[in-house]
Order: sequence, then C-alpha cells, then structure tokens
Amino acid sequence: MTAAPIRLSGVEVAFGRTLALTDVTLDLFPGVTGLFGPNGSGKSTLLSVLAGLVRPTSGAAHHSGGPIRAADEGWRRLVGYAGHEPGLYPALTVAENLGLWAQLFDAPVRRVDEMIERLGLGDRRDTPVRSLSAGYKRRASVARALLHEPHVLLLDEPYANLDDDAAAAVSAAVVEWRGPDRVGVIATHGAKKVKAFADAGIILKHGRVVSYRRGAEQLAEPPIATATPGSGA
Amino acid sequence: MATEATGRLVKDAGNGGFVSKTAALVRKDLRIEARGRDTLPPMLAFTLAVVLLLAFSLPDASRLDRPVGLPTGGTLLLADVLAGFLWVTVLFAGLIGFARTFEVERDGGALDVLLLVPLDRSGLFAAKAVSNLVFVVTVETLLLPVYALLFGIDLGSGWAALVLVVLLVDVGFVCVGTVFSALAAQTSSRELMLPLLSLPALVPVFLAATELTSDLFTGAGLDDVAARGWFTILALFDVVFATAGALVFDFTLE
Repeated sequence: MTAAPIRLSGVEVAFGRTLALTDVTLDLFPGVTGLFGPNGSGKSTLLSVLAGLVRPTSGAAHHSGGPIRAADEGWRRLVGYAGHEPGLYPALTVAENLGLWAQLFDAPVRRVDEMIERLGLGDRRDTPVRSLSAGYKRRASVARALLHEPHVLLLDEPYANLDDDAAAAVSAAVVEWRGPDRVGVIATHGAKKVKAFADAGIILKHGRVVSYRRGAEQLAEPPIATATPGSGA
Repeated sequence: MATEATGRLVKDAGNGGFVSKTAALVRKDLRIEARGRDTLPPMLAFTLAVVLLLAFSLPDASRLDRPVGLPTGGTLLLADVLAGFLWVTVLFAGLIGFARTFEVERDGGALDVLLLVPLDRSGLFAAKAVSNLVFVVTVETLLLPVYALLFGIDLGSGWAALVLVVLLVDVGFVCVGTVFSALAAQTSSRELMLPLLSLPALVPVFLAATELTSDLFTGAGLDDVAARGWFTILALFDVVFATAGALVFDFTLE
C-alpha cells in the first residue's frame, strides 16, 4: 500500500438537485478515522462513496489498486461495511446470518463464534434478527462487517442504540481489528467514543470537509457540533 | 462452537467457490421463504383462484378439439383456450413471485452488503434465478394436476413432453423475470415496473408455450410438435436470456 491507501479528489455527489457532498478532497491513511458532523452533513454518503456503492457525480475516489467501485470484485474483497441498516436477514438467526456472510466473504467458520463472543451476542446467537432490539442488531451488524477482517472498515453510526458496555465492546472490536495496513472510517455522533482510539478526525458540514486532523491534533479537537433536531439525515 | 443451524448454512466456508456461494444464497432464499411464507402463498392463492374461476366459466371440456365460439366471431379450439389460460396463470403467478425477488434483501437492508460480496454478479443472478425457478416449479407442480383434473385433460404419454415444455419455458421465464426484478427493485414503483418491463420480453416464450401445449392437449406427439420449430425457439430464448441475464445483472444492480 502507498502512504495514502485511499484518496478522494474533488468528490461531489448529487441526488437530484440536492448536493450531498461538495468538493471532498482528502487522503485516508492506515488507522481509524472518525467522521463527525450533524445530521445531513454527508457522512453516510461519504461512507457509501468509500464503499463504492455510490459513484461520485464528479471527482474521483481511488484506492491504491485503482478506482473505488463496488463492481470491482477485488475492491469488494477488501471492504467491510455496516451502513445505517443492519444488513442482516430478519428471518434468520444471528448465527445463521453471520454464518452466511462468513461463507460469502470467505471468512473461516471460527470467525462467527469469535465475533459473537467479541460483540456480546452469545445469548442471542439463535434468536431471529427480527426479534432483536435495535442495539443487538447494531452489534450484529458490526460483527458481520468485521467477520472477514477487512482491510477497509466502514461503520455508519456503530454506537447508535448501544449502552455503555455494548459501545465498549464495539470499540474494543475495532481496536483489535486495527492494523498497520488497515483503514477504518467510523461515522458517528458519539465523537467521544471514537476519539478515545481514533488516529484522525474529519468534520463534515453541509457536504464539505470543514476540518481534517490527524494524530495528536485531532485529540485536541473542540467538541463536535451535535445533531440539529429535524435537520434530516 | 458453531451451532447446528450455523453449520447448515456454513458449508465449505473458506473455499470461496462460485458454486458454493451461489448455493448458499439459494438456501438462504428458500429458508427465508420456509419461515416467512411471503412469496409462495400469494402465488398459489392467485393460481387456484384463476383455475376455479375457469372451471366454472369454460364450457364442457370433455373434447379438447371442440371449437369454441368467440364473441368477435370465428371459432377456436378448446385446447387453445385451455393452453392459453394455463400459461397466463403461470405468467401472472410468476410475476407475483418475481416482484418479491429482492424484498428479502430490502427488509433488512442487506442489498448493499450483498453488492459488496466478492462473488461474480452472475452468481447473484444464478442464485436469484434458481430461487425463482423453485417457486414457479412449485406452483406448476400443483397447478398442472388440478388443471388436468378439472378440465379432463388426459395426455397419456404426452405428459413427458409437457414436462419438457414446462422446463424450457420456466428457464427463460425466470431469467427474464429475475433480470427485470433487479431493474424494478431500483425504482419506487417496482410492482408497476416489473410487468411493464418484462411482459414485452416474455411474449415469445409464452407464445411458444401456448402453441406447444395446445398441440399436446389435442394429442399431437412430441415429434409432430417438435417439427413446428417452437422447441427450437424456446431453447434459443433460454440460451439468450440466461447468457444476457448473467452478463447484464451487474449493470441492473448498479
């Protein structure tokens, strides 16, 4: 991998007349980057661009191996993604879901049990996902994204609906996943939780990067603007 | 230690094989249907309702080569009418099922994750097509005996030929239905879009199906039926749409 495994250059994403991202230019380096900003600031869209699920209207998103596109099977192999929705089949149990995704992502079977243990899902492993609370679904979603030990981990609000213990389990799983050539991006309102272990922090506002700090700088970041009620996602 | 339930789904994990992943996706769809019963019951309910209505509305079917008068003038063999209704029933029952092709992914937001699976998109197409094929064949397995019973259809040795026709029709039908269900799934009015998109493409396959079935109903042998060329048309249709479906599925999901 190069010094900047992921590079976005002038990325703009428009949904109809609405600009979700405007002129986003940044390099993402190995480590965990917190992605902060109020509702509607473009965090989820940026994660979708990084996953290759949304193609920029203009500008370019590249990784060290080429353009970022979900159509590229090589890129798909590298990515672990947990979006807004859990990405799990409601009729299947937690263990069945993780077992299925493990097979599809070429993860060894033992990872299913490891992630169930790591994320504190042991007492719900045979519960259908549709019967889980929102917090358990979130944990199962993070477990799914980590199953194949991806090189690029993209988590959208992984702390939503989690109590302190569950949030700590998620943080511990991400910290354990972190490696010298791995790039993680966590979009969250829970800035404090991510700042505890993040290597960099990005603040988005109205689809623009208003701050990008790395290393010790980001730890000194002032408190992130909280969500504005009713501002939309 | 993996539970039995996990073990059933995790077969050959780590092999990364196209076939094993595709099979895992099919098993997933069938298991979800077995638990949720969201797709087959409406298909079957529609099918049985149509067959019952036909049983009360069509004339005595004791002679399938009997001419039936048309309101617009002229006549038609009863076998043609029955063959037409048979395939119209299969067509619309199938469309009911195809409309739900990606609903299992939509329910839990799994479509995005599925699009990131390191499996050639032709594998996703094959998995969805096979799942749809199972649903359509299940409907036909119940429909054909009921149809034969209610309308006194005795094909004798012609049943084997009818099964061949059904299989050839089904392959093309599910390939077209699966591709267009993926396209329709990207739109907000997918229930409307699916028939609008797929019906024009399905005309040739159901035309061939009706012609072949009508001939079989009137006692024509397989050789006679094959000589008219409809088998070739169906086989070509299957090859073209199975190949095209596998190739374009990537773009339909983008």
